[in-house]
Amino acid sequence: MARKDFLDIASLTREEVHHLLEQAAPFKEVFTRSVKKVPALKGKSVLMLFYEPSTRTHSSFEVAAKRLSADVIDLDVPHSSVVKGETVKDTVDTLQAMRADYIVVRHKMSGMPLAIARQTKASVVNAGDGAHAHPTQALLDAFTLKEVIPEPAGRKVLIAGDILHSRVARSTSTVFRKMGVEVGFLGPGSLLPRKGPAEGIRRFTDFEEALGWGPDVLYLLRVQMERLEVQYFPSVHEYHRVYGVTQERFARVAGEGIYIMHPGPVNRGVELCHEVMDYERSLINQQVENGIAARMAVLYSLKPGTGEGGEE
Amino acid sequence: MDLLFAGGEVAREDGPPVRADVWIEDGVIRAVGEGVPAPAGARVIAAEGMLVVPAMFDAHVHFREPGQEEKEDIAHGSEAAVNGGVTGVVMMPNTSPPIDTAAVVRMLLDKAREVARIPVYTAGCVTRGRDGAELAGIDGMRQLGVRMLTDDGEPVANPAVLRYAMEYASEFGMFFASHCEVLELSGPRALNEGLVSYRLGIKGSPACSEEICIDRDIRLAHATGAHVHIQHVSSGLGMETVRWWKERGARVTAEVSPHHLIFCEDDIGEYDTRFKMNPPLRTRDDNAALLEGLKEGVFDLIATDHAPHTEFEKAQDFVSAPNGITGLETALVSLFHHFVAAGEFGWDLLVKRYSAEPRRLMGLDPVPVEEGRRADLLLFDPAGETTFSRDFMKSKSINTPFLDRTLKGRIEMVVRGRDVLLERGP
Amino acid sequence: MAVILDEAAIARAVESLTDQIREGAGGHRIAIVGIRSRGDEVAERVCHALAAGGVAHDYGMLDISLYRDDLAHLAENPKLQESEVTFQVDGAHVVLVDDVLFTGRTIRAALGALWDYGRPARVALAVLIDRGHRELPIHADYTGATIETERMDHILVRLKNTDGEDGVELVRNSHPG
Repeated sequence: MARKDFLDIASLTREEVHHLLEQAAPFKEVFTRSVKKVPALKGKSVLMLFYEPSTRTHSSFEVAAKRLSADVIDLDVPHSSVVKGETVKDTVDTLQAMRADYIVVRHKMSGMPLAIARQTKASVVNAGDGAHAHPTQALLDAFTLKEVIPEPAGRKVLIAGDILHSRVARSTSTVFRKMGVEVGFLGPGSLLPRKGPAEGIRRFTDFEEALGWGPDVLYLLRVQMERLEVQYFPSVHEYHRVYGVTQERFARVAGEGIYIMHPGPVNRGVELCHEVMDYERSLINQQVENGIAARMAVLYSLKPGTGEGGEE
Repeated sequence: MDLLFAGGEVAREDGPPVRADVWIEDGVIRAVGEGVPAPAGARVIAAEGMLVVPAMFDAHVHFREPGQEEKEDIAHGSEAAVNGGVTGVVMMPNTSPPIDTAAVVRMLLDKAREVARIPVYTAGCVTRGRDGAELAGIDGMRQLGVRMLTDDGEPVANPAVLRYAMEYASEFGMFFASHCEVLELSGPRALNEGLVSYRLGIKGSPACSEEICIDRDIRLAHATGAHVHIQHVSSGLGMETVRWWKERGARVTAEVSPHHLIFCEDDIGEYDTRFKMNPPLRTRDDNAALLEGLKEGVFDLIATDHAPHTEFEKAQDFVSAPNGITGLETALVSLFHHFVAAGEFGWDLLVKRYSAEPRRLMGLDPVPVEEGRRADLLLFDPAGETTFSRDFMKSKSINTPFLDRTLKGRIEMVVRGRDVLLERGP
Repeated sequence: MAVILDEAAIARAVESLTDQIREGAGGHRIAIVGIRSRGDEVAERVCHALAAGGVAHDYGMLDISLYRDDLAHLAENPKLQESEVTFQVDGAHVVLVDDVLFTGRTIRAALGALWDYGRPARVALAVLIDRGHRELPIHADYTGATIETERMDHILVRLKNTDGEDGVELVRNSHPG
C-alpha cells in the first residue's frame, strides 16, 4: 500500500528507503531520451506552496513534476518573515478549492507539512520545514552517495557546519544511518546540540580530529547567516579558519580522496575555499542533477487520497 | 433542602479519610460522625464507598475576560470549575485589557457576582499592561480585595522593577506570584530544550531559563521581605531551588500543575499542540522529581493554570499555536486517577494542596467537613468513571489532552451552602 | 492449474518466433525491444538465436510502468525498472517482444514509451503466447503459440533468468474479480 505523503525520512523503513533509491535510477534514464517526459502523472496537478524563498529546490520540484506530465501550479504565498494569523486551516481551505493532487510545501515552521497533510486528501511532499526535515534532499544525497560508493554500509560520512539549525543535517544523517553508514557531526560547540542526535553519531568540535576519524565523505552544510539572531560564533572569518575547508585542509582532503558534498547554495570563503568547486571528487553538481530524478521517484511513489485526512 | 450523606468517608488534610455520615441543615454542617440518624425532611444520599471531600480551590486560572471571550468567560469558566469540584478560583490578569487598574477589577468582580455561582477572585498585574516598565494601579486594586500581583504569562524581566514593586506592595500585605523564565533564553517558547525539540526541529526553552528566574525572584523577595509565590514549576531543579530557599527561611510558596506531574515532552509526539504550554512539559525525571516534591511538601499547592484556547487556534503549526491547556474540569479526577488510585499519595494530600492551602494563600479559611462549618464540599465516587467528552465540558474550550478519555473517579455532587451546585445523576 | 508449455515447448516457440521475425525483416536491420518483465528475457533468447544465425540487429528493453493507462486506479504504483534504448529509434525497424499478448494495453503503453525515444519507420509485434481477449485494435505480427483462455483465467509464465525455471501454466479462475 503506497503512502499518501512524504514528510520525513525518520518514518521510512530501510526497505522503503532502498525502494525509493532504486526508483530514482530509472528516472535518471528518462533524461537521456529525446522526449524527456513520461505520462505517469498526466492530468494530475502539483501545487507548489513555498513559504520560504528557494530557487533550486523549487525549480527541481517543478522540473520533476513537469517531466511526469503533471500540471504545476505555483501558489503565490507571502515570503516575508512571520505569517501569524494564517492558520493551517486557512491554508488548507484555499488548497481544497484548487483540487490539487500533490502539494509540495516548504515552510519555516517545523511540522507545517504534517499539519497540512492531516487536513487534506492530497499527497503532501515536504520540501523543507523549519529545522525539522528535508527528506527529498536526503534522498538525493543517498542516491548520489550510492553512485560513487555502491556499498556504503560501514563507510563514514562527516557532516560539518550548523547542525543545530539544519534540517538537512537531520534528514541526511538519518538516511545515511538507515543505509548502515557511520555518521559524525563536526561544528562549533554552540551549533552542535548535546541532546538529540542519535547515540551512534560521533561528535567533533575539532576539524583535524574529525579528519583523523577517517571519513570517506565530507558533507558541508551552508552556514545560515540569515537565520542567526544571536551570535553563535565570533565571525565568518573565524568560522572559516576553524571549521571551514581551508586551502590547507583541502590539500589533505584531496590527498585522501575524500568526497565532498554540499546541499547548496555554497558560501565560498565560509564553509569552503574556492578550490573545492573544481575538485574532481566534489559531488555537488551530481547532487543537483540527481535532485530531479529523486523528486520524480518520490512523486511517482505516492498515492493521493489514501489513508486519513481531508474532507471530500 | 437538607442533606444527609450516609455511609461514606470524610476526606481531610490531616490524615486519611474517616468513616462518617455528614448531615447538612440549612447550608451548615450539623453533624459528622458514624450513625447520624436521618432527620425528617432531609434528603438522604447513599454515600457508601464514596467520599465527602472539602471542595477544591484553584489559585491559577485564565478566564479570558475581558477581551478573549471566544475562548472562555467568567460564566463558562466558573461552571467549568463547579464541574471539576472547584468552588473558588483566582483569575489571572493577562486579559485584554489587562487587569491592572481598579476599574477593570471592579467591572470583573461585579460581573462575577452576577453570573458566577461560586466566588471568583482576581489577581492584578505587577506592571501596567504587563509591559514590565511602569507599575500597575496597585492600591486601587488592593482596595477592591486584590492580594496577588502577577504579570503571569510573562516574567517581570527587569529585576529592578520587580524589586521596587515588592518593596512597595508587600507593605500592604500583598504578595507576588511569579511566572519564571529568562526571555532571552526561551526562544519561541514552544517546548523544552531536549531530545524532542531536536527531533521536531524547534528551538526549545532550556530548563535553566525557568530555574534562573525562580532563584532570582526568590532572592529579590528575600532581600525585600516580600512573599513570593512561584507559579507552575516545571523543572525538578527549579523545585530544588524553592526547597533550598524554604530551608533558609525565605517567604516563598510554590505551586505545581497536574499536567507537569502527569505528562512529559515525549507526549508531544508528532507536533501535538495539546501538549504545548508554558512552561513546557519537561522530562520523565522532572515528573518524578515534582511528584516527590509534592509529597514532601516543597509544593504548597496544586493549581491548574487553566488556559482555554479555541480549537481553531490550537490547530495551527506547533510554534504558532498558543500555549496552554484547560484544567479545571479534569484536575481532581486526573489527580485521583494517576496518583490516589495508583497509591502515590492519599486524599489528605489532595485536600491539603488543592483545597486548604490555596484558600490560605488568598487569606481565606479552608472548608473542612466539620460540625459548625458552612457546607462547601463535593461527593466523590472512587468506583465511578468520568469520560471527558465534548458534551461533558462546561468550558468554552476543549484544549485538553484528556478530551474523550475515560479516567477513574467521578464527582457526583457539589454542595455550597444551601445550594446543590452539581448533581451528576446516573 | 495446468502446465500448458514446458521447457521444450517454450524453446520451440522461441525458435518459431525467431524464424518468423527473420523472414519478416525484409532485409532491414531490425531492433529487438523486449518489454519488461519477461518480454525482455524472451527478447534476449530471440537475439541470441539471431546472433547464432549471423543476423545483425539492435537490442533494447522498455519498462512501461510510467505509460500504463491504469496508474490512477492502482493502490500502489508498480515498481519501476530501467529502460535501455540506446540505438537510434528514428527510422528504425522495431520488433517489440513480449511474453503474453492479452488485452493489448501493455503494447499501447509500449508504443507510447517507444515514441518518446524517436520516430520508428515500422513497429512489429512478436509475442511468445497470444491468449486472446483483445480490448484494443492491436495484433501480433509474430506469434510463438496461441492458447485459448477465458477472460478471468491467469496465464503464469516463468522464465529461467527471471523466475529460475521455464514453464507456462494456465490457472482457471471461476470467481471473477
